[in-house]
Amino acid sequence: MSLGEPGGQPAPNTLVPAAPPGHDLLVWSRAVTKRFGGLVAVNSVDFDIPRGSIVSLIGPNGAGKTTFFNMITGFYTPTSGEIVFDGRPIVFKQRNRLKSLRPHEVAALGIGRTFQNIRLFGTMTALDNVRLGANVHLKSRWWDAALRTPGMLREEAENRESAMALLRLVNLEDRAHAWARSLPYGDQRRLEIARALATRPKLLLLDEPTAGMNASETRDMTSFIRRLRSELNLTVLLIEHDMRVVMDISDRVTVLDYGTVIAEGTPDEVRRNPKVIEAYLGRGAADT
Amino acid sequence: MTTLTVKDEDPYGHGIGGWLSHVGEVVFGIPDTYRRELKLHRRRTISLTVLVVLLVTYPVLNSAFLATFSRNVFPLPLPDDTVVTFMMIFGIMAIGLNIVAGFAGLLDLGYVAFYALGAYTAAFLASSHWDSISIVFLANVTPGFPGIHLPFWIIVPLAILVAGTFGALLGAPTLRLRGDYLAIVTLGFGEIVPVVFRNLADVTFDFHIGPITIAAQHLNLTGGPLGINPIDAPFLPFANLTFNASAGYAPVYLGLFLLLIAILFARNLERSRIGRAWMAIREDELAAEMMGVNTLRTKLLAFALGASFAGVAGSLQASYLGATTSDFFTFSTSILVLIMVILGGIGNIWGVLLGAIALVYVDKTFLPYVGQELQQIAPGLPNPAQFNFLFFGLILVAMMRFRPEGFLPNRQRAAEFAGAHTQADVEAKVDEIVAVDAVAEVEAAIEADPSIAVDNLGPPPGQAEASGDARAPETIDEERDL
Repeated sequence: MSLGEPGGQPAPNTLVPAAPPGHDLLVWSRAVTKRFGGLVAVNSVDFDIPRGSIVSLIGPNGAGKTTFFNMITGFYTPTSGEIVFDGRPIVFKQRNRLKSLRPHEVAALGIGRTFQNIRLFGTMTALDNVRLGANVHLKSRWWDAALRTPGMLREEAENRESAMALLRLVNLEDRAHAWARSLPYGDQRRLEIARALATRPKLLLLDEPTAGMNASETRDMTSFIRRLRSELNLTVLLIEHDMRVVMDISDRVTVLDYGTVIAEGTPDEVRRNPKVIEAYLGRGAADT
Repeated sequence: MTTLTVKDEDPYGHGIGGWLSHVGEVVFGIPDTYRRELKLHRRRTISLTVLVVLLVTYPVLNSAFLATFSRNVFPLPLPDDTVVTFMMIFGIMAIGLNIVAGFAGLLDLGYVAFYALGAYTAAFLASSHWDSISIVFLANVTPGFPGIHLPFWIIVPLAILVAGTFGALLGAPTLRLRGDYLAIVTLGFGEIVPVVFRNLADVTFDFHIGPITIAAQHLNLTGGPLGINPIDAPFLPFANLTFNASAGYAPVYLGLFLLLIAILFARNLERSRIGRAWMAIREDELAAEMMGVNTLRTKLLAFALGASFAGVAGSLQASYLGATTSDFFTFSTSILVLIMVILGGIGNIWGVLLGAIALVYVDKTFLPYVGQELQQIAPGLPNPAQFNFLFFGLILVAMMRFRPEGFLPNRQRAAEFAGAHTQADVEAKVDEIVAVDAVAEVEAAIEADPSIAVDNLGPPPGQAEASGDARAPETIDEERDL
């Protein structure tokens, strides 16, 4: 459901006419459905992300959160539906078949992401991991690389500088030349964010950024995510299981269950929503 | 009117001028760089210097006195000029295959196809094969001589182009395949190319496309099993040097020259955004794609660039030997180059070079020498030179057992083989276990007091069981893919 629509009415299971999304919405999606064989993982989900907000997607395990994430990033093509990012369609019709931009094209549009189970390039240095993130923005071609042309050298120097700046931002400057796999867990999480930031995203997708962190690490991560929003003008979409984090930093929370949106609103609204309580605790819990 | 000249503070300059001045700086900076290296890494620099001096002077020393010396005194034979030239040729190939298999992590079992394409490019463009026409351009033959005769210096770029194009053509439809499938397709390509060259010796066809008729009778395209010979040797006009098999150590230096360029290019590529993208693909293709790497194009680039190195090696081999037949380009050559790469240290340019030198030595000098000695002692025994792949296999097995990362391993590969059980790894593992425990704790707490649950979300036990079956496929998918 869009933020424009009042109330929590379930979305109609039809394609909404492709109205131009409001300029304040970074992600606009309508009736997004993904089937794996007979299983409907995501069922007609309408989901909007206002620019500059921190939005969380929550739900019990297997509710379709990561599947939805994967459709935004172009990894899965939806069975039906529409996804528009920053005025550019990510999903489009080609010869009457639904197609999706490839992940690297989505990354170039400005979506950076981290992974539920960290996927750094383990035997590349922290610096090289971040430098790789900027790959989309580098113009030099292979012949520039082979001949080390002035343009390529300048680009590499700039890239190195900005990568170091990002490492400074996540407090890993002194580990720049350490292998990603040799870093402690918390550092790896932050390095992954730095790598995502190097793609210069407009939207940052964080898949359980505080998983496996203790309370103080979680607090640090929360304030860091806030800082990213305010300092870098980022929009953040969060998948998170730690409800304290979700309720603490989200502007809006969307709850998925069995692939459908069962609630959407501010953290307080969602917390009190009987459907949410039911989804998490089972029928009966909501009545008590 | 006065104009203010602003000093350009950009250290890199622009265009060709900037590039030339950069190259100039690097070249004239060599003494300084060398002094600095000598100060910083004394042992490494000195041993490298000795090695380079030995390598560069070896052919001269060898033909002057070393060969005689070794024959009479030294227990092991030293490689002669032909063998050293082949070391250079296979060195170029190993460096090329290292781009594909080492940097980008794509297993190419048909690498010999590009070697063949390079060799036949030279054969077609610098021989009397097309004897009904005569094109002589800057070549060391009299004008009017039948056949196409282009100089070696033009053939090399053309061979690069041909091999690179075929690399891209093979890669485009197949690089979506992963691992084993890619290996099998490349294996097929490596078989097809030599067979095509072997069989296109007597072509008769008759095409009618509308009003156009294209026909040929008994057209000899490739020379068949006999191959094509003679092929013009590389020729340096001003020095009046011919680099053929009977020219002593001159072709060694031609090979060394091409090898140095190959090393330089491969090294430059490795240290660029393309090299990083290759490494990222090798490490985690999906994550690389999510970070904006066009994986298909980057892999295609690795394939085409790697192939072009084999094109150079092939054209050098054909021009140097003055003949080419499809027999040179068997599957075993692909495997030989692959063994060089693995043995030397996959991913490391110097390692694969060492692998190439070592294996060519064993193949072309050591085993024939042992065979010769054996014949004198026990004439009935089989010649080990005919069982060279048996020995390569044994070497490979021994290497995999005792030093799987190769002679000179790539840092990263070495760590992969070692498993890198560092303190940090252990910590990460502990964190994981703690995380699992935390979830279990929360679950227990919810069971005891359901009202806290929304604030401390873990999958509620009842819910998870009830919906477990219906949702299993997606959960598996999540685990597998992301």
